[in-house]
Parts: sequence; structure tokens; C-alpha cells
Amino acid sequence: MGEHKYTGPIAGLFQKMADLIGKDVYYVNFLILMFFTLFEVAAVFFEVIPGTDIEITRTAVWGVLIVVGIIKGYGIAAFFMHLKGDPFIYTRTALFPVIFAALMLWGIGLSNPAGIDQLPAWCTPNWDYSYVTE
Amino acid sequence: MSGSLHDVKNDVWMRAVIVSVILLFVGAAAYGAFAVGVGTVKKNEWDAAYDDYNEAKAHLDMLVESETDDPNASFAEQKAAEKAVDEAYDAKVDAHLSYLTWVTAGKTILVMMIIYAAFYGISGFYNSIQPEEEHDDHHHDDHEEHHGSASPILMAAGLMFFMIGFPGFVNTCKSLLGLDYSAEMGDFGMSIVGAAILIIGIGNWWNEDLKGHQEQIATSAPFQGQDIRKAGMWIFLISETMVFASFFSSYLRMRTGWCTEWAVNAGKCDLVDTQTASDLLRHEVGTLLPGAINTFALIISSYTIVLALKVAKDVNWEPSKNALMAKLFPTRKKAVRNYLIITLALGSMFIVLKLVEWSHLIAEGFTIDTQAGSIFYVATGAHGLHVFIGLLVMLFMIFKADVLENGYDEHNGQGIEYFGLYWHFVDLAWVAIFPAFYLY
Repeated sequence: MGEHKYTGPIAGLFQKMADLIGKDVYYVNFLILMFFTLFEVAAVFFEVIPGTDIEITRTAVWGVLIVVGIIKGYGIAAFFMHLKGDPFIYTRTALFPVIFAALMLWGIGLSNPAGIDQLPAWCTPNWDYSYVTE
Repeated sequence: MSGSLHDVKNDVWMRAVIVSVILLFVGAAAYGAFAVGVGTVKKNEWDAAYDDYNEAKAHLDMLVESETDDPNASFAEQKAAEKAVDEAYDAKVDAHLSYLTWVTAGKTILVMMIIYAAFYGISGFYNSIQPEEEHDDHHHDDHEEHHGSASPILMAAGLMFFMIGFPGFVNTCKSLLGLDYSAEMGDFGMSIVGAAILIIGIGNWWNEDLKGHQEQIATSAPFQGQDIRKAGMWIFLISETMVFASFFSSYLRMRTGWCTEWAVNAGKCDLVDTQTASDLLRHEVGTLLPGAINTFALIISSYTIVLALKVAKDVNWEPSKNALMAKLFPTRKKAVRNYLIITLALGSMFIVLKLVEWSHLIAEGFTIDTQAGSIFYVATGAHGLHVFIGLLVMLFMIFKADVLENGYDEHNGQGIEYFGLYWHFVDLAWVAIFPAFYLY
């Protein structure tokens, strides 16, 4: 595991924050993970932004859950699992099953018969639903 | 190198047996304090709340049946009685859940400690009865060669036999506990033999790993020049990704067909036909807390294992100037070991809180015999199983960090790194499971 300096648009940002507080990038990553987890729980728990009347809509919660998930996933994979800094073959290996996972989520996950009229057309696989409609 | 090429003396192995006795003691103490001690108090409170509820209900029934001259007074009294019934019901549910919290925590800690002790003690005992190895110059001369190990095959065979007999094993255990099940001794024996082979395989693997072996390097593409164990761990994690992807795809498929609270609020349908775990968990601090604490616990444990690796690889490591930190982590060897112990404690807490949360959900009627319950318990249970297997591996790593002369250092720290990949993956899976099953 490296004591080297991380570069790049996102990893570089983590490194700058680490340099700013005089700690290593793992510590910064840990703090960011903790903060975003708190943010994620709060977004679901509260119906309005505390101290205001601004409603937290379902779309906003969806957005928060997805964005926070991506940030946390990146932090864990890039720094804790050392993908950032290890040879690129490991990143390719890690990304390889994502293709199949995406296919499973699309092909199976979104194939519920209810999806015929309840899901947007773009995310509904073009299955033959005749067994349902008949 | 992934080990120190030390002979591990039998007296060292006996420490594993002693530690297992201590673990059993901790389990018994936790069970006594939580399940028996506090549990009994909570049971009495639950019984009292149950009686209060019955009294309030009987009072309401009596008011409904009786007739008074003043209808207004009767109506007001009846409303007050209905309110009292509702409050008594809430108090009864709270008392029940509080009782379940303590009893489940106590029982879970006891069972976990028994498994830890069996894993630690039997493997330690198995190795302590092996003859001491002669000092073998030839062995040391060719230690750079890789020595193949039969231990993984032995473990796999043991696991296979254990699982073949497992349904009968469970029924036999229930029968032995006096429940209305018939004993299936053939399957029970098969599981016991399987467990014995499994433990011998584990013990043997411990022994081989402690002696150390050459780290093999891949000689061909695509991992050419990389440690084979690291590449192997990543390939393993690919298969794990597919396992969790199958849970998510089936959850998504079912979820899009359910009329949940979310779907109703979003105007997708009119009547709620399915209650998800998140419907029961996300609205109150008390119900959301175990899942939220577990999320933080996994993140902290991911960080502590990173710290263990960082210390192991840091040849210039020095104790902290902070007195408390210096006491907790006095030497490099102890710092690595103690970070691993903290990781183990956090992972164990994760399992305890998960089972407490499950006990609450089951008490509220969210059982595995519904679609929503089935996918929730299978997905979160599979994740919990991964955490638990990781904890068993961590037990060995703590033993290794403790008994080797230098513990984990810059020469054998890869063990922590490769295990860390698995542990971070488990954390990563939770990053997806927590919002999907607890928050959404």
C-alpha cells in the first residue's frame, strides 16, 4: 500500500484534503464515508430539511441514495481496496462483472410483468409478455 | 514471503486452546448478563405491560357492554379507555422488543463465542498434538519453492459432507432439545464427520500458513508479474459480485411489481399490498438505529484493517505521542494485532445487531414466508454470513499476529492486504444493501 501521492481529478481532491489536514488519504476517505452515510440516513429519515419547510421529495431521496452510493463505492474501491495506485489490470478485473450485473439488473430486475405499463419504456426489456396478458 | 518460516511450538498452540476457554467464558458471561440477567428483568416488564394491556382492554369491553344514564359521560369515558388501550398496546410492544433486544444479544454472543472457541480451540488442539518438527536444513534450503497444500481440498470436502447432512443435523438437534422432531442420526453423523474434516483442514492450513511460504508470482498475462494470491482474491470477488447481483436483480424484479408505501406515495398504485422491511425500519430512530450503527461499524472496521496493514508495512513505525494511543498500540506487533482485534469486535457487533434487528422484524410479523421477507432475509443473511466467515478468518490472523516473533511485518503483510480486499468488498456490498433494503 502506497505512501505515494494520489493524482487525478477526484483522487487528487482527496489527496489535497489529506495534505490540508496533515493526515493520509485513508483518513480523509474514512471521514468522507462517515459523513455521507450520515447524510444518506438523514435524507431518508427527515421529511423536510431540518430547520426549514423545504420538503425532501422522493426524487431527491433517490438522487441522494444513488449519488452517495457512488461516492462511497468509489472511496472504498479506489482507496481502501487500493485500485487507485495498483496496476490497471485490477480495475479492469473489478469492472468486468459490472457488465453482467448490469445485464442481470436490466434483464431480470426490470422484467416484472408490472413493468409493461408502470416502468418507462427505456428501462423495460422487450420481453414477450403474452403469458401474462393471455 | 507470506510467513516467517518459524516452527510454531506446541506450547504456542496451547495458547489457542486457552484463548478458546476465555472466549467461552466471555460468551457465558454475556449470556448470563444480557439474556438471563437483564432479560429476566425485561421479561417481567413485558409481562407487566401485557397484564396492563389486558386490564385496559377488559375495562374498555366492560364500558362498551354496560349502559349508563348519561350518554355524554359514557362516550368520554369510552374514548379515554380506548386511548388507554392504545397506550398499553404500545407499551406492551415496546417492552416485548426491549426484551427481545437483550435476549437475542445474549444468545447471539454466546453462540458466536462457542463457534469462535471451537474454531480456535480445536484447531489449536489439533496442532498442539502434532509432533514438534525437526530442524530440517533441507527444508529451509528449498523454502523458496512452493509447497502445494491439500488443506483447501480437505476443507471443501468437509464442508460438502457437513452440508449434505445439515437438514438432518438441524432436526436431530431440535429433537435433542426436546422439540417435536425425529432424530436423523445418519445425517447427524454425516454432518459431524464433515465438521471434523473441515476443522482438521482449517487446523492444517493454519499450521502451513504460520510456517510461511513463498509468494507465487503470475508468469503470464493478464496478471503477469502480480502476486497470484492477490489476483485469485480479485477473481473470487468477481464471483461474489455476481452472487449479490442476483439478489439485487431478483429484489428489483419483485419490487417493481409490488404496491408499496413508496409506490402509493409516488402515485403508481392505490392500495399498499406489500410491506417491505424498510417500511418498518426507516420511520423511527429506534428501528433504523441498528442498521445505521452497523453501517458505521463496517466503515470503521474497513478503516481499522487499513490501519493494521499500514502499520504492518511501516518499517519506521513508532508509538503515538498520545498516552492513550501509546498504551493501546505500544509496539508495531501489538498495534497490528490490536487493530485486528478492534476489527473483529466491530464485525461481531454487526452480527449481534443484525440478529437483534431480525428478532424485532419477526416479532412485528415480517417473516421469511412472504416475498418481501424472503428476499430481505436471504440477501441480508448472505451478507451477514460473509461477515461471519470473515470474522473466523480474522481470528486466525489475530493468532498469527500474536504468536509470530515479529507478527505481521513488511514481509508478510500481504495476508492482511488480501483479507482486507474481502473485508472491503463486504463493506461495499453493504453500501448497496443498506439503502436498497433499509432506506428505500
